[in-house]
Amino acid sequence: MVASASDFGRMAGIPGFRLHLPPRVPPVSRAPARFVFITWMLLMLPGCDSGPPRGAERTPAQESAAAEELERESRRAYSEAVDAADSIAHTEVSESDRYGGTIVVAGRNDIVTLNPLVSTDMESAQHQAYVLFTTLVRSGPEFEPIPWLARDWDVDPEGDRITFRLRDDLYWHDGVPVTAADVAFTWERVVDPAVPFFNPAYFDAWEAVEVLDEYTVRFTVRPSSNLLYGWAVTAILPEHILGEVPPSELATHPFGTVEPVGSGPFRFVERIPGDRWVFEANPDFPEALGGRPYADRLVYRQIPEDAVSEAALRTGEVHMVVDADPSAANRLARDSSLVVTSYPSAEYSLIAWNTRRDPFSDPDVRRAMTLAIDREAIARVVRGAYGSVSMGPVGPWHWAFDPEWKPLPFDPDSAATLLEGAGWADTDSDGVREKDGIPLSFELYSTPRQSWRDIGEIVQAQLAGVGVEVQPRTREQASLIPLVTSPDRRFDAFMVGWSRDVPLDDRDLWACDRVDDPMHFTGWCLSELDAVLDSMQVVADRKTLERLTHRYEALVVDAQPFTFLYNVETVLARTASLHGVEADVRGTWASVSSWWLDPESRR
Amino acid sequence: MGFRLQLVARPGVTTLIRYVGSRLLQAIPLLIGVVTLIFVLLHLAPGDPTSLWFHPDIPPEVMERMRESMGLDLPLHQQYLHWLKSFFTGDFGYSYSHFRPVSAVIGDALPATLLLGGAALLVAFGVGSAVGAWQAVRRGSPTDSFLTVVTLFLYSMPGFWLGLMLILAASTWLAWLGLPVSGMTSVDHASLGPLGRMSDLAGHLVLPTVALGLGSAAGVARFMRGEMLEAIGQDYVRTARAKGLPEGVVIRRHALRNALLPMVSLLGLYLPILFGGAVVIEVVFSWPGMGRTMYDAVLARDYPLVMATSFLFGLLVIAGNLLADLLYAFVDPRVRYD
Repeated sequence: MVASASDFGRMAGIPGFRLHLPPRVPPVSRAPARFVFITWMLLMLPGCDSGPPRGAERTPAQESAAAEELERESRRAYSEAVDAADSIAHTEVSESDRYGGTIVVAGRNDIVTLNPLVSTDMESAQHQAYVLFTTLVRSGPEFEPIPWLARDWDVDPEGDRITFRLRDDLYWHDGVPVTAADVAFTWERVVDPAVPFFNPAYFDAWEAVEVLDEYTVRFTVRPSSNLLYGWAVTAILPEHILGEVPPSELATHPFGTVEPVGSGPFRFVERIPGDRWVFEANPDFPEALGGRPYADRLVYRQIPEDAVSEAALRTGEVHMVVDADPSAANRLARDSSLVVTSYPSAEYSLIAWNTRRDPFSDPDVRRAMTLAIDREAIARVVRGAYGSVSMGPVGPWHWAFDPEWKPLPFDPDSAATLLEGAGWADTDSDGVREKDGIPLSFELYSTPRQSWRDIGEIVQAQLAGVGVEVQPRTREQASLIPLVTSPDRRFDAFMVGWSRDVPLDDRDLWACDRVDDPMHFTGWCLSELDAVLDSMQVVADRKTLERLTHRYEALVVDAQPFTFLYNVETVLARTASLHGVEADVRGTWASVSSWWLDPESRR
Repeated sequence: MGFRLQLVARPGVTTLIRYVGSRLLQAIPLLIGVVTLIFVLLHLAPGDPTSLWFHPDIPPEVMERMRESMGLDLPLHQQYLHWLKSFFTGDFGYSYSHFRPVSAVIGDALPATLLLGGAALLVAFGVGSAVGAWQAVRRGSPTDSFLTVVTLFLYSMPGFWLGLMLILAASTWLAWLGLPVSGMTSVDHASLGPLGRMSDLAGHLVLPTVALGLGSAAGVARFMRGEMLEAIGQDYVRTARAKGLPEGVVIRRHALRNALLPMVSLLGLYLPILFGGAVVIEVVFSWPGMGRTMYDAVLARDYPLVMATSFLFGLLVIAGNLLADLLYAFVDPRVRYD
């Protein structure tokens, strides 16, 4: 066990906003939407720490690194092919034979509460949206809202009222029907300032609610580009149980920890704190929403140590490890009884430059930094085959992402030219550039996780190559946050990992009128970008929104207030006896009703 | 603090009670010292729980209200007195990282730690004394040298590494044993009969107990070997041999019994080591105990939970020490308390 590497948590969840906690850091309530640092990062792989091979000669170490990478890629391709073949090979197991058994899933973090009003972590969010509760709508593959608890809805011609008609065949697990009153109650609570709901901004455009009858509810709304998205990630809560609880006491109510009552495909059975949650199939779940799930029982277990969850996977104690360690993926894929798959996650990491101070007030210096850092190598070191260079503020999985986009290249020569042009030259031949007698030297902050230390060293070595001195500094999460958010912003640069969200509302990062807000780390802003970002919040037409998004990407990438490092792919390792797992950026548990176990491996 | 060795025996019941009473009284300032130190250290570390909850969408006044509700807006000494007061009225506070009262969190975790610590203590002293005695009897033999190397090795190994190696072994070469590598119970635990539950629990207990107890067992063995060698060299052992007693009886009745005496005081010394080790071992084996709870609470700056867990650990250690002293009096009539 590596000692207490505290790190920023990470928001992910259904893309982008819930906290995905780093190993062994317990979930903290209300963690920051983006203030959260990457979780699983790895030790360095050999041969990757000194940057890419330059020149034609390759050392044996580079050869073996290349061979290793080739193997990694082919293992990955192989494992994915196995996964694809899996669905075909098991068609002989008839529909009716798929029912039964207990599926055990392991993750690093405990689910401390299933109360959607207070929890902030990824696993909780997933269990709320897909396992224990139901949501009003679901997100389709392109994040378009599809009917779920709401059979359908219509927007009146003026566009300021939306009416949902609900299913009448969905029941709370205690037998009470799910009705319009529950929907109205849930909305009233998530927007209540006394309730610490993690992102009430999802409902900024929602102004009033009116229950028309038992299964019809109408809201008054303002125009918004992602009007329904909040409803796809917010579990509907039982009014008949929580209605009498004062809003300020909802956070501490035992509903989420001791006796959760949901309406989803699985019912709550028991919870052993620090160990597991047990759910059982809900036989009354409506056919139209997938009906009774295949598995009799579903168990979520917390196993904080990666090595232990790997061992538990091999011994068959668990059937799937979510967010497995990418450095173990290759090893796991070699085991024919295991299958390793991955899906793009909303998470990425970056270096933020403080443009309020020299030298990073100069965009050319920031561009030079990005050009001089081999981001490909960093992604490889930290994520193995499960990461890619991050190009800009929008995730490659997002429907509005510009597919034509190319990342800035690794080009130290151009970086040197830019720095020369900006007036930074090494006049005293000490290896560090100066301007007006001030050396080009800065402190790069991060949390003390090993992966950040590794990246810090790589950046240090690579920037030394262009005459820039980097002093990596680590601060524990709880002290780094005040450093980078306090009004005096006494830092040059820091590294961070967080998740992108589906609604692209990044005004807290860039808006000119919010420069003094805590999240405005860089201090960089642009009036054109302000206009683009403002329009992006209200335009409903996807074509227009796509154009605006591309402009947003271009403006940010041009100015480089961030150096975008890499995107993360989430690794899922499972036993070959578990089938039907289809995960994408919406999350691991989205397909939970159709997970099934080989009859012979059921317990 | 403690006892004075006197050659005149007879600890009366009243003196014993008075002794225990004074020890307990001494424990109070000690415990207050412990929690005060922890309180200060905890608050010296930068950040507080709310800085981890930092969120752009939360209006500042809501953050302020949260801080107020947790009492974090008060000056430190007031926070401290507040905490001390509620603590002594039996209110451990509310855990903000578990969304439950601290007493409920601890109520779940404490039995798990006591079970693991107790089992590890048994292993440490049972195995340790047996191996040490065995070595002393065969002093200088190849077995002795071999066991010396092994015990020294185990003694030097950090518990978490030992734990990971055990997990590796149990999931590969020893997979046929079917030993569970994590958690405290199987997922089907609730559906088992009473016997099944016990064996399920015992199975889960094996690896963490060995990982936690083995290092201490090695230490105990080193100690026991020395004590035993000393006992074997004593006059009364020579006398016993001269009487013509069989060697087995000499060793068991005369040497071993005397050598075990000082082990009792070792018990008090090993309790803190075992409970401290539990913090790491519980994380490695996903054991839902106090150690892991405390570790997570520290990282989350969950002040009330850290305070309560460290208080309980302190209490366990003090109780262990007291128990060891009392046991010592029980087994050694020469000890007397006054």
